[in-house]
Order: sequence, then structure tokens, then C-alpha cells
Amino acid sequence: MGLKRNVSLGTGLRYKGGGPMLVFVLHRIGGLGMATFVTIHILSSFFGGDIGQFANQIYENWVFQIFIFFFVLFHAINGLRITILDLWPKLIPYQREAIWVEWAVFLPIYALAAFVILRTGLAGG
Amino acid sequence: MQVTLKIFRYNPEVDKTFHYETYTLEAHETDRVLDLLEVVKGHTDGTLSFRRSCAHGVCGSDALRINGRNHLACKTLVRDVGTKITVEPLLGLKVIKDLIVDMEPFFDNYKKVLPWFINDSPLPEGGRERLQSPEQRARFDETTKCILCAACTTSCPSFWGGEEYLGPAALVTAHRFIFDSRDEAADQRMHVITETDGIARCHTVFNCTMACPREIEITKAIGELKMAVITGKV
Repeated sequence: MGLKRNVSLGTGLRYKGGGPMLVFVLHRIGGLGMATFVTIHILSSFFGGDIGQFANQIYENWVFQIFIFFFVLFHAINGLRITILDLWPKLIPYQREAIWVEWAVFLPIYALAAFVILRTGLAGG
Repeated sequence: MQVTLKIFRYNPEVDKTFHYETYTLEAHETDRVLDLLEVVKGHTDGTLSFRRSCAHGVCGSDALRINGRNHLACKTLVRDVGTKITVEPLLGLKVIKDLIVDMEPFFDNYKKVLPWFINDSPLPEGGRERLQSPEQRARFDETTKCILCAACTTSCPSFWGGEEYLGPAALVTAHRFIFDSRDEAADQRMHVITETDGIARCHTVFNCTMACPREIEITKAIGELKMAVITGKV
């Protein structure tokens, strides 16, 4: 007898792992976001016609692009951090600092890109 | 000060599922969470079940999720977690009763990495022991400190996803023996950790390092194992 081993998504997300856990979760969300983007893109090319046009409208929408750029950029920069730490384990004791550097690189680039997408989108571009 | 203690409760003989019970008790800020659990068990509800043994951070029996994060109850002070404390069992292992989890899958994974010294060569001539330089000892000193409390393994999202994953504690033990200059079974252990449910499932999340009550740099140890796997050099 005993409760089944069951770690639900909600329970896992509530684990208080702090900054490292947050970037892990964002990395996974980023991966899912990119998979969604690529899937819509493929469906658009595959079906063509009205369905393709509808799919085009989704991923060419500036609101969608603001999200997708967040996913792609965060996934890329976080992946780079993990790769560097994996290849040079001596840097791992500085993992907290590495996460701060990651945010310091990500935020200005994302803010600039989001500004450009927003300005273009609001101008009807 | 008054502390509100919310405890995960589950009695398999009575309950179909778990629930929480809340207790209010007087405590000092230097009391440990384990002390609070003892007060509840001793004075309020004797059916409350949890593991504890040495109560001084050495045996590793009382690893629990305290306010959403893995700690040893005997090393966690009230002043470190506040006056509203939630105590839950470790994640990823079957709950047997209240705060007690089934540790078998954890120890099954531990056994897979051959957690004992292997050296079938005869002792050095004229010697009664296999000597080791301080530098050789320092190579794995950190990973000898593990107390097998499972706080690391049960904080790992990869382990939550499947208990077949060796987990940080088993990998720490693999590190302890693979990098021991006296041991001769590094190849066997490297074979075990490069299996599908081995080191490749570590996603460098760092939950394990932050949960370790012995402050072992677990992710660093796993990183060193990853490099050993890639380069073939121990």
C-alpha cells in the first residue's frame, strides 16, 4: 500500500529551486514554443491554400513574434550557458554568476528586438 | 514565537489520498523543524510518521520537502524558513505513510554504480596498504561526504520524470570511486553511467547542488563525469 509515485507538472513547477529552476523551466517552455513555431510553419507549407494562409497569419503576427523571439533567444542563450558549464566543469561553482550574466545578455537584446517588433507591428508593418 | 506547521498526512489504512493537517505550536527561532515534528508527534498526534535517527545531519534519514524545497529537518532552523512552515515528503518516491517514502528505487539506482571499492590486484610488495598522494585523495574528497539522504535525487526534474534515471546521488558515488586512484573498476562504472538512464539525463538544473545538506558540488562532480565520458580520461 502507499500513494503512487506521481509528480504532476504542477507539483514539479512548485518546487522552489530558485533562479536555476526558473531558467530550466523557461528553457523547456522555449523548446515547446519553438516546436510550435516550426510545426505551424511546416503545416503552412504542407497545406497551402486557405489553411496555409491561416497558419501564415498566426506566425507572422507581431504578438506571436514577440513570444517566439523570447523563446528562441532565451533557449539559445541558456543552452550556451549550459554547454559552457558542461564543457568546463571548473566553472560550475560560478553557476549563479553565470545565470546573472545570462540575464544581462538576454534582457537588452530581447528588449531591443521586442521594441522593433512592437514598433513595426503598431505601425501596421 | 508561534509557528504554524502544515504537515502532509497520509495513512494507507484509512485514507484514499493525502491531506494536510495544520498545527500551531510555540517555538524558538533556533528550534529545528525536526524539533517541531517531535513536539507534534509527542504531544498532539502520536500517529504522525517520519524518519529520523541521529538528528545531527549525519545519518540523512530526515530529508523532507520544507516550504517547497528539500532540506534535512534536523539542520533547518525555524528562523531560516519562517513561522509558516509546510512539511511534505520527498518528491518522486512512493509515499508509504505521512512523511515516509519508499527509498528502494533510490537505493536500487545507488547499487547500479557498484558503490564499493574494487581492486583485485595484490597489495604493493612490502606494503600493507595502497598509498595515495594528497592530490590523488583531493580528486574525490568532495564526493566522499554524501550521506545518501536522497535530497538531491528527489529534487531533480529528470528523476521526477522517471525513477529509472540513476540520479545525482548515484552519480556522486560513481564519481567517488571512478576518480579514486586505488580503484580498478572505473571502466565498469563508466559503462553504467553512459547507459540511457545515466549521465545523459542530467540537464544541469542545479537543484541537486542547492538541496545537498553536505554542500557537495554535485553538478560539478557530474560535470567532471561528463568530461570523463567524452574524453575517456579519468
